[in-house]
Amino acid sequence: MALTFRSSTAACLVAFLLLVGISSGIAAPSISGVAKRVDVAITSEVFDESTELAPRCDDETFLRRAYLDIVGDIPTPEAAVAFLLDPAADKRARLVQELLDEPHYGQNWARYWRDVVFYRAQEPRARIAVNAMVVDLAQQLNENVGWDQIASEFITARGDVREDGHTAIVMAQDGRTEETTAEMSRIFLGIQIQCAQCHDHPYDRWKREQFHELAAFFPRIGVRQVREVTKRSFEVYASDRYSQRQRKQNNDRRPTAEHRMPDLNHPELPGAVMKPKFFLTSASLPLALRDDERREQLAEWLTENEWFSIAIVNRMWAELVGEPFYPAIDDIGPDREPTAPTAMKLLAKKFAEGGHDIKWLVATICQTDAYQREARPRRGPTGTSFAANVPQRLRSDQLYNALLTAMGGEEQGSNARGYRGANRGSARPRDAFDELFGYDPSEPREGISATIPQSLALMNGSEVHSYLNPAKQTLLRKLTREIDNNEALIVELYLRCFNREPSDDELARATAYCYEVSKRTEAFEDLLWVLVNSAEFQHRR
Amino acid sequence: MARLQHHTNIALHRGHVVGRRDFLRHVAATGLAAGACNWTDVISASAEELRSRGMACILLWMQGGPSQFETFSPKPKHDHGGETKAISTSVPGIEISEHLPHCAKVMDELAIIRSMTSKEGNHQRASYLLHHGYLPMGGVKFPTLGANVAHQIGDASHQLPSYVRIGGRLPNGGNGGFLGVEYDPLVLNSAERMPQNTKPRTGLDRYHRRLELLDSIQTEFAASVGTQVVSDHRKLTDRAAEMILSPSMKAFDLEQEPQKVREEYGSGNFASGCQMARRLIEHGVTFVEVVSNGWDTHQDVFERTKDLTAQIDQPMATLITDLKRRGMLDRTLVVWMGEFGRTPRINPRAGRDHYPKAFNAVLAGGGVQGGQVIGSTNYAGTEVDERPVTVNDLFRTIYHTLDIDPDHENVSKIGRPIKLVDGGEVVEELFV
Repeated sequence: MALTFRSSTAACLVAFLLLVGISSGIAAPSISGVAKRVDVAITSEVFDESTELAPRCDDETFLRRAYLDIVGDIPTPEAAVAFLLDPAADKRARLVQELLDEPHYGQNWARYWRDVVFYRAQEPRARIAVNAMVVDLAQQLNENVGWDQIASEFITARGDVREDGHTAIVMAQDGRTEETTAEMSRIFLGIQIQCAQCHDHPYDRWKREQFHELAAFFPRIGVRQVREVTKRSFEVYASDRYSQRQRKQNNDRRPTAEHRMPDLNHPELPGAVMKPKFFLTSASLPLALRDDERREQLAEWLTENEWFSIAIVNRMWAELVGEPFYPAIDDIGPDREPTAPTAMKLLAKKFAEGGHDIKWLVATICQTDAYQREARPRRGPTGTSFAANVPQRLRSDQLYNALLTAMGGEEQGSNARGYRGANRGSARPRDAFDELFGYDPSEPREGISATIPQSLALMNGSEVHSYLNPAKQTLLRKLTREIDNNEALIVELYLRCFNREPSDDELARATAYCYEVSKRTEAFEDLLWVLVNSAEFQHRR
Repeated sequence: MARLQHHTNIALHRGHVVGRRDFLRHVAATGLAAGACNWTDVISASAEELRSRGMACILLWMQGGPSQFETFSPKPKHDHGGETKAISTSVPGIEISEHLPHCAKVMDELAIIRSMTSKEGNHQRASYLLHHGYLPMGGVKFPTLGANVAHQIGDASHQLPSYVRIGGRLPNGGNGGFLGVEYDPLVLNSAERMPQNTKPRTGLDRYHRRLELLDSIQTEFAASVGTQVVSDHRKLTDRAAEMILSPSMKAFDLEQEPQKVREEYGSGNFASGCQMARRLIEHGVTFVEVVSNGWDTHQDVFERTKDLTAQIDQPMATLITDLKRRGMLDRTLVVWMGEFGRTPRINPRAGRDHYPKAFNAVLAGGGVQGGQVIGSTNYAGTEVDERPVTVNDLFRTIYHTLDIDPDHENVSKIGRPIKLVDGGEVVEELFV
């Protein structure tokens, strides 16, 4: 089944040469050109003659994968048929572009980042900031605002957390200087410098001073309650007025003039005043600057640093191909060994040159052979990276969207632009679903496993049951009435749930099942139940 | 790997096929083929589990920070003690608050630590600390106490999850952390109702028929992406289906308790929680956490604590006597605690504020010598004046009691070794 190294390399090289010829002279990094160069680099850096590469996936698989990865949903049967019958050679690249232009692209990834930020929240009431973050970030992603601009807004945010979504990271860390510092570094640089908070970093070069120098960009931030007659909220604020208090404790939400590093031998003392200094370049600022001067300068230094681009490339690659270049999504840095460093650096460089363009990054990764290979189980310690894509459990929003699409559900709270669950509101079914199925996307994916309550919710929960209930006007009931032929209905359900036709064997089994179960409606309720409860439905392959 | 062992253990421990499917066959076909483990691994893992089997823990968690003065450290002779009186207990010389008359009767089983001390006076951070033995650190997801215990000594062959939390989502109460979601607690909002989604929507025959169809259609996906994903999925489905169809589900059903026993526990959510905790331990669950809310008494501490102690006193005392008469107390450690204590000084609103400097924890069972008080505070209750016990000391003691090596190192997802407890010393007096 698998292509050998030799033939795929030859194919790559031919395509590569062609594309280099075509793309030379174009200023913006060419998607297909960079994709090819990334594949060539991976081939020479990671594979050898004995590597068994998974073949290019078929169109059905690509369709479902691209939909879930880009817009967080599965395709409708109509979309599936249209794509599968399209004879155009460039239809995969076109599909990716079309999906990136969907408003659901921004919404899907804004929800992803929501999880990145809020699974690390220090306290539950930070949830109040969730909606604004998703709405604001979805819009920016859809407008394709540069990642550097977006990051800068998170770093420098202030204002009402229900109105400005960029306050989310500070709010999630409750305005605490050290926790906020740690998260900014982890999320935007992928570097976990906070391990140096209490002692010099055990595995990296970072010293304790360097963490506290970074924290010195954030001493003047705080979080406080907004008390107005009509609303209750929180506000991320900064104060440049002289503070009487010498030292801000780590659990203190109020601003202070300068950050101090506690003296480990004399914790009762205020500790040394730290000058703001960026650990990656050693660029520094004097003391006594205003909050906006500090954070704006840090945003500039941070977003122009190569680790800023590497971090997002590493993360997006991991989400799309299934495995990061570095061993972890958010624990990278100069002391860590990446797989395929040339490919990784090339992507990061082109990403930065193109204006930190996330849509470009997604389109380019989706164009690589590495992305388009068939999925194989996550490799073991001795397996080869990137020889196949990796099947992933759907994130909670993907799974919820897929259920609605497959079973013909309409979510309450969908708004006119077709955003699902865009409206605020308490106790939406999606929220209950998120609570049960959500996970921290920065965690290594092999550590995320399904739970019993999740299984039970899909097997016996009211959501799935409501689409199978024979007493209701369900899509299934409509389809069962309209499609007389059992085989045709089986195909329809497979298309709806798996976005592919059943194999001959599957068709035979399902047909036999319909025959055994004398009641036709019951048989198809069972089949749809089985399809959504299967591993295939709950994974993206 | 852990999950695979888990399910392999099901097969090995029982020595027969469970439910409608042959686990053994699946594991042999998928696990061995995938090279995930071999039979020697499986059998030794299983033997290890058998050795450490038997100990269990019930954590009675007082969310909000219970007042030590109104519970286990009354100071009736000092202004700081307020209006709360002390009563004698079944152990001469030990007095506790008048609001805990039932606990007073089982004092011979209780060990009160009156000298707990920490520095965290913030609810979130302190709840986290008293659940994990660590303060929150961005980037590291520490497993909570119950998850570590389930991971170390949980009975993987059991049909119910090893860790159950009763009383709803507990902010900062933690979960499996980097050990993985399989060590997350099964969270029940209340013991008065059965867990959610445990009733099949169809008749049992049709349910089985669906599950069989589910089995038969998964081969295609297994062939295309590999058997591991599918076998993990079907194991989980099996486990969920097995749980809800298992006779052990009756552990969740308090209706099955004799009326007399129900009355002994008293009424209310906490009483039901304690009773369910005992039923769950009896049915093989390793760690049960029962949450009591509302202890953050900045106002009217006397009135409100009277209410709260009335909710927990009888259930807690009954839990201990009930465990004892069933012969379960020796292998079940019961821990009573909250995130901190409350200020000695009574504030102008007749309340007490946060006070981590001196607070209480109570231990019973699991081999702990009851009828004693460890440590003390000064006359005014402002300072620990004898035998301070830190959170790390307490955690070390809890693991030690459960026959778990507190120095065991887990490796976090990014490869950092993290001990169950970092430092601290076992409170040896508890075991004399």
